[in-house]
Amino acid sequence: MKTHELLDKDHLVVFGPNGAGKTTLLRLLAGTLRGGSAIAAGYLPQRPAALRGSVRRNLELGLADSDDKQRAHALATELGLAGLLDASARSLSGGERQRMALARTLARSEATMLLDEPLAAIGLADRGAVAATIGKALEGKSALIVTHDRQTAAALGDRVAVLIDGTIRQVGPPSKVFALPDDEVVAGALGIANVMTGEVMDSEGGLVSLRVGPLEVWGVGDPQASGRALFGAETVTLYAGDRPDSGSARNSWSGTVTQIVPVGQLVEVLVDCGPTVVALVTPGALDGLGVAVGDLASVAVKATAIRIL
Amino acid sequence: MEFIGDVLGDALSFLSDFGPELRRVTALTLVVGGLATAIGVVIGVPLGVALGLGRFRGRGALTVAVNTGMGMPPVLAGLLLLLLLWNDGPLGSWELLFTPAAMVGAQALLAIPIAAGVTAAGMRSLSGDTREQLAALRLNRRQTGWLAIGEAWPSVAAAIAAAFGRVIAEVGAVLIIGGNIAGETRVLTTAIVQEARRAEFGAAVGLGIVLLLIALAVNGALTYFQLREAR
Repeated sequence: MKTHELLDKDHLVVFGPNGAGKTTLLRLLAGTLRGGSAIAAGYLPQRPAALRGSVRRNLELGLADSDDKQRAHALATELGLAGLLDASARSLSGGERQRMALARTLARSEATMLLDEPLAAIGLADRGAVAATIGKALEGKSALIVTHDRQTAAALGDRVAVLIDGTIRQVGPPSKVFALPDDEVVAGALGIANVMTGEVMDSEGGLVSLRVGPLEVWGVGDPQASGRALFGAETVTLYAGDRPDSGSARNSWSGTVTQIVPVGQLVEVLVDCGPTVVALVTPGALDGLGVAVGDLASVAVKATAIRIL
Repeated sequence: MEFIGDVLGDALSFLSDFGPELRRVTALTLVVGGLATAIGVVIGVPLGVALGLGRFRGRGALTVAVNTGMGMPPVLAGLLLLLLLWNDGPLGSWELLFTPAAMVGAQALLAIPIAAGVTAAGMRSLSGDTREQLAALRLNRRQTGWLAIGEAWPSVAAAIAAAFGRVIAEVGAVLIIGGNIAGETRVLTTAIVQEARRAEFGAAVGLGIVLLLIALAVNGALTYFQLREAR
């Protein structure tokens, strides 16, 4: 495995599919798995366990001084546990247990934090608020956060490292890595929804155009590229009707809506433009557009959001 | 059946007497067994925590030794200590042979591996998540050990009960090392042997009932705590 150093005060998210080696990496660094070189860091395990006794007792476990304990209590309050301090920790729900462990870990004074899936047990509705609390607590600290969830990665990471089969394949800011994966393996791991194959036609100022069926697709790439276009569903803007008011987007196509699929809090809209284009929108935005299956719709994607390989 | 009825009748009258000798034998049994169990727990439980949770060289060999010790015949433990404490033995100058102190030592030898072995099994049965969490708290070994004992409390309670049950019921070690001297080193089990040999079956059964009641009381109390924990 290549070495990627934790930059000072940097929050690096290691992102990858299940079985990529994320938890193993973190446990080696935390020293709970033999064979690594453990570092001094606060460590949140993937499935934090509630130990005997009250939430208060659990909250203060391993915290040496009263400053740390005060911080843990403040974090617990912020995370909505104030009313549960005297409850038995074992009676907590999975989400509450996760919050308790987060408060305890983030209150530690170590300058580095290792967090394993910090938002996994948190309900979708609360993830934003909990992510904000984590972000605030990590200010001025270094952090290595592992997750298989893109939203967690985007919410908590300054940089994202994509780990696949024990190898880091790409490192960069979340917006860049998720929009422009370096190769198809990374794209697959990121769950890039749109992959098109075509023929390279033209190039102009770092951009390359690809002929994909009836579409001309402009993206970032090499004129010698083999002819694959990759772009995330969240980079696609959806419009109702035939012609989009596409603004600066170089790629704008229209077609018939064939499918609408809820994905977590968002909705995927599949538009048959020749090849099918997947757009990710909020349910509110979809309501506003009034687009339904069978309707004519248009999509627009900036050329800089498409990777041509 | 008349014979059994007579024996039970004798036993009851022996118990209702609860004479000074019975009181002394019962008290010595509780003191010797209690102290031996205490020593066994103080040494065996931490050893069990280390064997169950620790990662150190020689752990496998030590585990084998403990498991073997769990099945050690009491007469062998008694014999071992007898050789050590014999007048010409390495510890002969201590002059502990045929004293309650020597009996405590012999029974502690039996209690330590039981307490260690059952505790280690309890530690190994802690879930991976619990063990990972314990390690994640970054406490020192002693603090981690205490927390682990709390987490595996039903197993540790079972270890204490098993150790006490072992020492209270054994006869071989205390017979060899204590000598069953009336008024000095006679305990319930050796007294039963004595009474049975003399065909004083009423007294023997009476002593046996006392022994059972002690085991019942101790195990009942530990079971109560275990169940309360599980609730």
